[in-house]
Amino acid sequence: MSDLNTDIKKILVIGIGNCGRHDDGLGWKFTEMISKHSQGKVDSEYRYQLQVEDSVLVSKYDTVIFADASHSKLKQGFEIHRCRAATHYFYSSHMQTPETILYLAKELYNKIPKSFIVAIKGHIWGLGTTLSRVAEKNLEKAVLSFEKEFFKVAT
Amino acid sequence: MTRKITIDPVTRVEGHGRVTIHLDEYGQVKDSFFHIVEFRGFERFIQGHPYWEAPVLVQRLCGICPVSHHLAAAKAIDQLVGIDPKDLSPAATKLRRLMHFGQIFQSHALHFFYLASPDLLFGVDAPAEKRNVVAVAVENRELAVKGITMRRFGQEIIKAVAGKKIHGILAVPGGVHKTFTQRERDFFMDGKEIENIDTMIEWSLGVIDFMKGYHEKNRKLLDEFAEFPSGHLGMVNELGAMDLYDGKLRAIDHEGNRTLNDISTDLYEQYFSEAVAQWSYMKFPYLKGVGREKGWNRVGPLARINLCDFIPTPLAEKERQAFIAFTGKKINNSTMYSHWARLIEVLHAAEVMKELLNDPELLGEDLVRKGTPRSKGIGIIEAPRGTLTHHYEVDEKGMITRCNLIVSTTHNNDAMNTAVKWVANNVISRKGAITDGMLNQVEVAIRAYDPCLSCATQAMGKMPLKAELYNYKGEMIDERFKY
Repeated sequence: MSDLNTDIKKILVIGIGNCGRHDDGLGWKFTEMISKHSQGKVDSEYRYQLQVEDSVLVSKYDTVIFADASHSKLKQGFEIHRCRAATHYFYSSHMQTPETILYLAKELYNKIPKSFIVAIKGHIWGLGTTLSRVAEKNLEKAVLSFEKEFFKVAT
Repeated sequence: MTRKITIDPVTRVEGHGRVTIHLDEYGQVKDSFFHIVEFRGFERFIQGHPYWEAPVLVQRLCGICPVSHHLAAAKAIDQLVGIDPKDLSPAATKLRRLMHFGQIFQSHALHFFYLASPDLLFGVDAPAEKRNVVAVAVENRELAVKGITMRRFGQEIIKAVAGKKIHGILAVPGGVHKTFTQRERDFFMDGKEIENIDTMIEWSLGVIDFMKGYHEKNRKLLDEFAEFPSGHLGMVNELGAMDLYDGKLRAIDHEGNRTLNDISTDLYEQYFSEAVAQWSYMKFPYLKGVGREKGWNRVGPLARINLCDFIPTPLAEKERQAFIAFTGKKINNSTMYSHWARLIEVLHAAEVMKELLNDPELLGEDLVRKGTPRSKGIGIIEAPRGTLTHHYEVDEKGMITRCNLIVSTTHNNDAMNTAVKWVANNVISRKGAITDGMLNQVEVAIRAYDPCLSCATQAMGKMPLKAELYNYKGEMIDERFKY
């Protein structure tokens, strides 16, 4: 974790999902683990969905990680990629994309933090508080990769 | 030639639904419906649960209105432990009120700034990609920043008293489970970490001024758009003042004549019935004494402004009087005045929050009281969208045997259908071509009621709203569908 403590000033990890929906809890679990491993050196937030006012929150950070479960097929079971501001808009007020949140942060608060999306492949989505075995493995790999590699990219 | 239109979903409302418009052989609108076709479940699956779980479980009806459901259920559950609103401790009453007015403030701010303002700023004919809060942010940064900040203020109030912005818990049977600290109070008053309550009041006044100007410029449209007679239902206190947390039920007809004369909320079953329609899961509540045809009521900000004798905070009362003076009408039946009325309630909520934050009793430590258990509890509250009823009955073990919910949006079911019919008849009928702007006007009419369709149907999962146009043969000829 030494890289984590060096170059990046202020980091926020936002877990997106619902821990009451089996693998939809991957984003929260990832955030919980990173928060624990970093010994309080990153801030963490948990969301069912991103909302417009999260633009205020992200504008206060230098780096923001959006962690979420994914339905998509991912080569390694997870994927970490750069997130850039874009004007997507979801029709409902209570569900926005990370790209929209960054766009609003830029337009309203003149700040775009360096941002990444951590997508972790999930498999079951019904009511339940446990992760599937495959999702747990994907989560482990995502956390390891994040801790080993991510901060080189971010800095 | 036949065409097919679908609006799916009807956008910028909370939840999803479907509109169908039926034409006759001359292309004239014959009928139209606002359908809510999703699963209805909470009333059933809450049965068998212990009563103390209700205020927590029912929050899951919705991510926008959890506070309203939590507090309405809490008021009902209080009665099951023998506590009426007057028996709660001052601290418990004031903390619950603070939470409620935080909810009114944030929910109304969300509706105005995120959902309604694109229509007002860009017009109903603006391209769809512009009719959203992202476009508002680009073109009117100051308005967007204020809107976001105001919503956050209300959410922070909720978080301070309930632990979380969404699905937090404050109420327990007979009271609340946490105190409010001096430090928490100062957070909202001193302006060091967030804009303070005085700024919220100032900004609320500013946005009302914006709305007044908008009405001056667009008077004819706003007066006439979806204007129709209806009853109005809401709660008032013993002096006839607007009370959004607790009071008596009052209803008036479209001219202001009383149709429900300040009855105790415990008696609602004697006065209300609910009709059903094959084409919607949402029921149609009405006053039994007036009958199904004319006994339905609008609820929410416009109804509440119409039926109260006054608003018990000075700035909002001044604005209520200006609202009435603007039209010269005692009772306002114009759908689009709902937005102005909602903003007056935003101001009222800010004033009440300031009063509560300055009240030493808010910091009290007497939190829970107990009485003699009962088998029935009825909690009614004025939620942001209107009158919300929670009714529970329990067996001797405290397990819920009956649950009846009449959600605000359900009361507005007839009003929204009437508004859709108005747009269909006045905007779409016999026009030959149907434009995106015309269909957006259907949405504008629905949106003015700020419906929460998740609450109204107690739905689970996705609920897309779709608009369809049918020809005289019953064939769908056009549809609108958006994700």
